[in-house]
Amino acid sequence: MMMQATLEKPALAERVAQFLYREAVLADEHRYNEWEALWAQDDVLYWVPMRPDADPTREVSYIYDNRARLASRIRQLNTGMRHAQAPQSGLRRIISNIEIEPGEGDEVVTRSNFILMESRRGVQFLWAGRTTHVLAPEGDSFRIRRKTINLVEANEPIGTLAFLI
Amino acid sequence: MATAATLPPAIDYRHLVQDGRLHGSLYTDPEIFAQEMEAIFHRGWSFVAHDSEVPNNGDFVVRKVGTQSLIVVRDSKGEIRIHYNRCSHRGAVLCQTSSGHRSRLTCPYHAWTFALDGRLIGVPDEEAYPAGFSKADAGLAPVARVDSYGGFIFVNLVPNGYSLRDHLGKATDLIDGLLGLSPVGRIQLNAGWMKHKMRSNWKMIVENQVDGYHAQMVHGSLLKANQTFATVRDRKPTSPTRVQDFGMGHTDIDHTSDYLKANDRLFRWTGGIDPARLPNYVKAMQDAYGEEDARRRLIGGPPHSMLFPNLSLAEMNIMVIEPVSPTASIQYTCPVFLEGADELNARTLRRCEGALGPAGFLIADDAEIGELTQMGVANLEPEWINLSRGMDTEEVLPNGVKRAGLMDETSQRGFWRHYREVMSASDHAMGRENG
Repeated sequence: MMMQATLEKPALAERVAQFLYREAVLADEHRYNEWEALWAQDDVLYWVPMRPDADPTREVSYIYDNRARLASRIRQLNTGMRHAQAPQSGLRRIISNIEIEPGEGDEVVTRSNFILMESRRGVQFLWAGRTTHVLAPEGDSFRIRRKTINLVEANEPIGTLAFLI
Repeated sequence: MATAATLPPAIDYRHLVQDGRLHGSLYTDPEIFAQEMEAIFHRGWSFVAHDSEVPNNGDFVVRKVGTQSLIVVRDSKGEIRIHYNRCSHRGAVLCQTSSGHRSRLTCPYHAWTFALDGRLIGVPDEEAYPAGFSKADAGLAPVARVDSYGGFIFVNLVPNGYSLRDHLGKATDLIDGLLGLSPVGRIQLNAGWMKHKMRSNWKMIVENQVDGYHAQMVHGSLLKANQTFATVRDRKPTSPTRVQDFGMGHTDIDHTSDYLKANDRLFRWTGGIDPARLPNYVKAMQDAYGEEDARRRLIGGPPHSMLFPNLSLAEMNIMVIEPVSPTASIQYTCPVFLEGADELNARTLRRCEGALGPAGFLIADDAEIGELTQMGVANLEPEWINLSRGMDTEEVLPNGVKRAGLMDETSQRGFWRHYREVMSASDHAMGRENG
């Protein structure tokens, strides 16, 4: 009985993991519009700070996109003329070490590690970090309200980051 | 001892750098790179830090100049000191982090301890040293020369040669133009530096900072995706914008000409923000400079300049180029906060992130093109790079500044002319005369 109920409606942890894996596939495969559609309609933040606990009102970030800027980023990639992603990098990332906690209201906060291999013109680049998602439930899935990527190398020189991290 | 016969032939920079063309090996030859570090970065003036980065006594940053790691620290009396990042005992680096705050500098190896001004003040078991040992002779090594202009601190690692003011020459006008957008004439570089690994020679980045020819092509994706970027300035070949050669290798793209010619609205240079959103800043500028001059400044905007060899006044951003090897560099980017313009600074921060750095809508693509160029020049033919665009139509102003059209290569030629002078100067024959 128990088992059957679980299969019919997966536990929160499983639904969150499936969502994060889905997002990773869309980013890895440069499916820009599908990736953008995972985001909430307004009031979002896509943030790559230069250190944990940075104050983004005073400190520069690698990426600090609100909804309008995120849309610009996607539009630029969609032109096919964004040289830094034309040709596109080969990408695959592993998402792991997922932790989940309640957020504000019905939001879910997840923290997860990633290791990402980027291949570009025969050279391999390794990216890694810990990502915090603030997810708003929608039906059996979620929308992204906020995504913060703390790169392991955030305070070191980093390579070009024109793909979706 | 090596004889002249066994030495490789000296590199002839007057042959490699000609008017209107360059030899491709300038971007690839490790020997040329080594000589550049010595002749340009160690024996010339280069930017190292801004005084607002170390506002309090004990604040420090660590910077690379040529091949050398330097500690820039504000000592307990408030003076800027620049030491080589090397303990005077057995040579370990004293500061591993890129910035921080210390009351003294202690070596991690044997705990020799130095005051911020470089004096050696603590040696464990000092009595074991011989009688002739004196702490007074064993302080940190200061760099030979430090000087500053408008808060920009420059170093020169040799004691003799021309002064910073001689090096900057007419380019002080460019720094003044930036500072003059603050009602109190001061800027702050305290938002941190984006650090971008570029897989290209440092000189390609220098050339691209003041290249007016590439925008339509390299940044076509942004022109298509972002209306503000597409319309805020005239990018056509007939644009009133000029490229300029200030002499001493300092160059500029003078967007101010374009904005002033339109003479229609303030703040095109911010992406066209409505002045009504910056009332306190506008008023402070009017109070400081008078209504008419304030209007001229707020229409004209900041410089878009490349100061030889490593400092770019990139409108409302400072960008610094650090050579790593013939084929690799790091580009540092920090937004410029104007003292007395808090309303604008928040916007400047967001614009800096949007356009620049590793994920920026502009610079990510510049980095890519730089990498393609670096890959290309590794191929040996044709040997020469063409830099002759607009050579016959340059205008020379009474003060000696050369100007040409937005898409002309006057700025690159200005850099290379000075490069050739520095690299072929006789006092830098690498000891060949004495060999």
